[in-house]
Amino acid sequence: MSKVDPILLSVYARTFKSITDEMSMSVQMTTRSPILCEAKDFVTGLYDAEGNMLEQTENLPILAFSLAPVCKYIIEYYEGDFSPGDVIFHNDVFSLGNQNNDVAVFKPIFHEETLVGWAAVKGHQADIGGNVRGGYNPNATEVWQEALRIPPVKVYEGGKLKKDVWDLIFANIRLDIVSHDMRAQMGACTVGERRLQDVIKKYGLESYNAHKAALFEASRKMMEAELSQIPNGVYNGEGMIYFDGHNQGTEFTIRVEITVMDKSIKFDYSKTDAQTDGFVNGTFTSSASATILTLLQMVNPDIPHNEGMIKPMEIIIPEGTVLNASYPKATTFGNHLCPPNADAIIRALAPVIPDRVTAGWNNLLCSLTTGHDEEKGDDYVDIGFMGLKGGSGAMIGTDGYDHIGMIDASGGLLDQDYEMFEQTTPHLLTKHEFLEDSAGAGQWRGGLGVETEFVIGSEDTQLVTFGDGDFEAAFGLNGGEGSILNIIEMTYPDGTHVVPNNKDLIEGVPKGTVYHQIAGGGGGNGDPKKRDRELLKREVRNGIISEAMARDSYGL
Amino acid sequence: MTMKIGIDVGGTFTDFLFVKEGEDPKIFKTLSTPSDPSIAVMNGLKDIAASVDPDMALNDFVSQVDTIVHGTTVTTNATLTRRGAKSGLITTKGVRDALEMRRGIREEQYNNRYTNVEPLVERYLRIGVEGRLDRNGKEVDPLNLDDVRAAVKLFKKEDVKAVAICFMNSFANPEQEQAAADLVRKEMPEAYLTVSSDLLPSIRFYERVSSTALNTYIGPILDHYLNQLQDRLKEAGFGGLLLIMQSNGGVMSPDVAREKAALTLLSGPAAGPGAGLVYAQAHGEDKCIVTDMGGTSFEAALVVDGPIMVNEGEIDRHRIALPMLGIHTIGAGGGSVGWIDEGGLLRMGPESAGADPGPACYQKGGAKPATTDANVILGYLNPGFFAGGKMSLDVDASRKAVEEHVAKPLGLTIEEAAAGMYRVACNNMAQGVREVTIKRGFDPREFPMIVAGGAGPIHSCTICEELEAPFQIVPRASSILCAVGMLMSDLKHDFVRTYVSPLVGADWSTLGKIIGDMKGEGAKLLTEERIAEDQREYFIKFDCRYLKQFHEVSFVVPADAFDAKDEQAIAEAFHAEHNRLYGYSLKGDETAPVEIINVRVQAVGQADKPNFAAEEYNGNDASHARKGERPVYVPEDNEFKTVSIFDGHDLKYGNHIEGPAMIESETTAIFVSGSFNCVVDKLGSYALYKKGREDLVAATLKGEG
Repeated sequence: MSKVDPILLSVYARTFKSITDEMSMSVQMTTRSPILCEAKDFVTGLYDAEGNMLEQTENLPILAFSLAPVCKYIIEYYEGDFSPGDVIFHNDVFSLGNQNNDVAVFKPIFHEETLVGWAAVKGHQADIGGNVRGGYNPNATEVWQEALRIPPVKVYEGGKLKKDVWDLIFANIRLDIVSHDMRAQMGACTVGERRLQDVIKKYGLESYNAHKAALFEASRKMMEAELSQIPNGVYNGEGMIYFDGHNQGTEFTIRVEITVMDKSIKFDYSKTDAQTDGFVNGTFTSSASATILTLLQMVNPDIPHNEGMIKPMEIIIPEGTVLNASYPKATTFGNHLCPPNADAIIRALAPVIPDRVTAGWNNLLCSLTTGHDEEKGDDYVDIGFMGLKGGSGAMIGTDGYDHIGMIDASGGLLDQDYEMFEQTTPHLLTKHEFLEDSAGAGQWRGGLGVETEFVIGSEDTQLVTFGDGDFEAAFGLNGGEGSILNIIEMTYPDGTHVVPNNKDLIEGVPKGTVYHQIAGGGGGNGDPKKRDRELLKREVRNGIISEAMARDSYGL
Repeated sequence: MTMKIGIDVGGTFTDFLFVKEGEDPKIFKTLSTPSDPSIAVMNGLKDIAASVDPDMALNDFVSQVDTIVHGTTVTTNATLTRRGAKSGLITTKGVRDALEMRRGIREEQYNNRYTNVEPLVERYLRIGVEGRLDRNGKEVDPLNLDDVRAAVKLFKKEDVKAVAICFMNSFANPEQEQAAADLVRKEMPEAYLTVSSDLLPSIRFYERVSSTALNTYIGPILDHYLNQLQDRLKEAGFGGLLLIMQSNGGVMSPDVAREKAALTLLSGPAAGPGAGLVYAQAHGEDKCIVTDMGGTSFEAALVVDGPIMVNEGEIDRHRIALPMLGIHTIGAGGGSVGWIDEGGLLRMGPESAGADPGPACYQKGGAKPATTDANVILGYLNPGFFAGGKMSLDVDASRKAVEEHVAKPLGLTIEEAAAGMYRVACNNMAQGVREVTIKRGFDPREFPMIVAGGAGPIHSCTICEELEAPFQIVPRASSILCAVGMLMSDLKHDFVRTYVSPLVGADWSTLGKIIGDMKGEGAKLLTEERIAEDQREYFIKFDCRYLKQFHEVSFVVPADAFDAKDEQAIAEAFHAEHNRLYGYSLKGDETAPVEIINVRVQAVGQADKPNFAAEEYNGNDASHARKGERPVYVPEDNEFKTVSIFDGHDLKYGNHIEGPAMIESETTAIFVSGSFNCVVDKLGSYALYKKGREDLVAATLKGEG
């Protein structure tokens, strides 16, 4: 074993990070689907020969740690039968994929004859077959109604395209753009492959092996140091899911039992409710990612994200629960179970590490409009990013972040620009502002929510909703108050008032309809009566908090 | 006999380059005076006056100076320290929070302690007024002037000093904004006013409102500073041309700067890249990477024919969508502090010891080990000859700081720890260079690297090794490259209009009129700046995208293609640039037509530039300049070796030095590592080439450069 040089170790760490960043830039610049190049719903990663994560650039936290389990699965699946130039696709949620639309590309990396690592990119594709264009099918009950399943499959073998396999896949996907975007992902993997090869050529294989092990060790130690600050014990918390898309009034409870023992932490979801009939189900990987990202927000944000970091963590999610659906259940909504999962974890740990947790975050409630732009003579699709972004929960000592969006994106998902929104849709935006009194009151208040209003500019418009947070608002902590509920509603030109379900599809929305949405704020933390008076007066003057709320909640 | 002076105000020093026709350019430095930077300007001018032969009184000297080009960071500092003017914003009802929301981004996703940046205009001073244009600029609701009046009334009551006006879709029709502006001008004649459709009539509301608010916030600050400076210069009898550096690498008159103050926000390092090209051209290159390592930051920029431009950037997390040089800045400089993270890894920066207290060796109370301390321990800096001997460095203080904070925790010797700090710092800087090259589709190995900044040439060999770049050029004026660049800069004015249309089938009479208007505006400014008509040039750029893409690509439209309305040739230029940037184009794909979003004009007025005379060839022998030897750390061998020290002042064109070696001059120390050799070129620059690559400097070696 080569000796570990503490200086070279820093160089390796910085270099691995720059490689996954460069892969990420390549994806962002070369993909065409807005969910990839604009919303950055993709992750790039580098793995060692055994599939242990060296580094990643996740863009959206929910994708963090969603590639490594698949990498290990692929290594096992092919029993080591890899050659330089292989390219493997994968999305299958029943072999550790996280979401059907998130299709991964894996490329083995060789140094001379030896397999030394993997470059991988997973991105949310604009379409993945199934019954509904785009993949969000609230009526689905089985995976085949949602997506084409891609268990590990080599589309290139030894550098040679397997044309038949390629064509089979893309014959089952509606949009050409998906094959362009998958090529872009392959390109980014090649970037990662070349750079890791350069590194190993420069320092030698022995040095690479010794130093990567030391990097895992460093991250593990940092994580253990953080965990050792949490008192030993067993802690329980719950989070709620409302409406499975099929049965009105349904509710499901996520139950987590967290065991902290010295330097380790275990998340056990065994008491979580059973899976639902519809697509409101998690996959193991999406749920475990949600767990990890919630914990990561409670520890030092500078710990390098590699295999060592997750070593001290154990996650148990029994199959058949709403967080880990059994074959062949529908699961497309699974990523959006992150908010209630985070709620459960925060509630469990708030009593023991009160200064490390936030109060509740605003949950996601989103809409998508599609229709025909008459003036431009073209169809449009718009994901309503700007309307969905509520506030984060407050921490002791820090207010929540205004208009940040759900915890699974944590400010990584941006509003459409207003003027580009009006260029790319026929709608007219009449309001997008912070909503007064939308934040939970507290000595530290929650992040503000927003109010959005626009006039729909196309006849026969289709509106799809997905999300939650219209039954339960973000919760407060330590005497801080909760926030307000999410709302999506429409007023047609004839006065008809329509309130869609939180997972719904409404056809034939007429031109001139006023669309109105509220994304609630985050929960407050601490006794509102203790909030800094000067700050409070400024917030009243700024119309963030009304005089009535300042008086009633804050005692001003 | 013309005299020109370039003046660059930095955080610690104000740099001067004095160029008198027929004489070698001279470098001066004075301590900066942050409370009123014009004091340091006048101090420096006094020093220059005293240095000319025979020495002159300030007034006699200044009255003879033809041109002063001045780079100022007063707007940058006012923004970073939040000392701008109290500002109000009048905007469209319903969208007044866009400025503060910043599209809902949180840059640190896992950090719940990370807070949003304070908005430049507080919410109660952001007033939404009735009045609405649709996406084509057609009026949907008329402007409600009573709303504007109410806003003005509030602003007056609150003692607002500066007003920004930015309405939805005003890029397509400025009338409502102008009507509101007329009212504000009438009611608040003293207030500084920025109208978004004047400053930046291009699409993207957040970018426009943020840029408009920034201009408003710092406009009164720049105005005040320019008054101070012009008064002092006038008092000293200055009757020449004063020009102000802009972020786009060009210069402008003080009157233009007053209107568009935001053009100076990122002008600090903007003069460097253009100057860098001059030194590359001495080797027949028309492209280079320009790096500048200062006390707290490292800047990298790319020059291909001219410096690479970008159409937007950021300052203190505020978006600014005015064309500027694509300069990448990272927190790595001589003052960057070395520390051990919780996982036991050595990190350098971004914390900086700055100039005060500075690195431990400055003996000003700094106890943390900085890059400069490592350089002292490694022998790269001569403790008795720092800043030409004006300042002495305490080696023991450096050793103590490195020992305590790096060596002991890592179980290394002090020398090993210092070598580690040096290496990690170089690695960080190499990544910074990657940002401006690889991420923009360029290969850093194909570019000579121009190395600037006092500490730059100590690190550049190792940075180049990391990037596998074989060639670097260290100008004599390396430590004041920006001041040099100021005298090399043309007058540049950028204009933009949004015109959304498919490229094929665009309305050419409208396009022609838009571009004609922008050229007219440019001509007007250049006339005011006394630029003769035959010294003017106009460049056209389009921002295009494939239909339904989210990002535009900005590219130069060949003048003949525009005149001939040749849509195909323009499309070709777009496909080519898209391919270069992103590795593919969709040429020939009928589902992806090309769409125009913005059209741009840059009006350029040629400024007279000083000529750098070629030196006389002096042969390869450099032994006359050898002034001694000392042990320095040689990274290739990972050990200290005794190397020759050369006096830079005695090195002449053609003199050749084999690495490893050190070259010292008053303002710069150069480490030629074991993998490089050095030859002095005809401009007196140090050309460092990888051993075995004599082909890169063949002409220079023979005196035929």
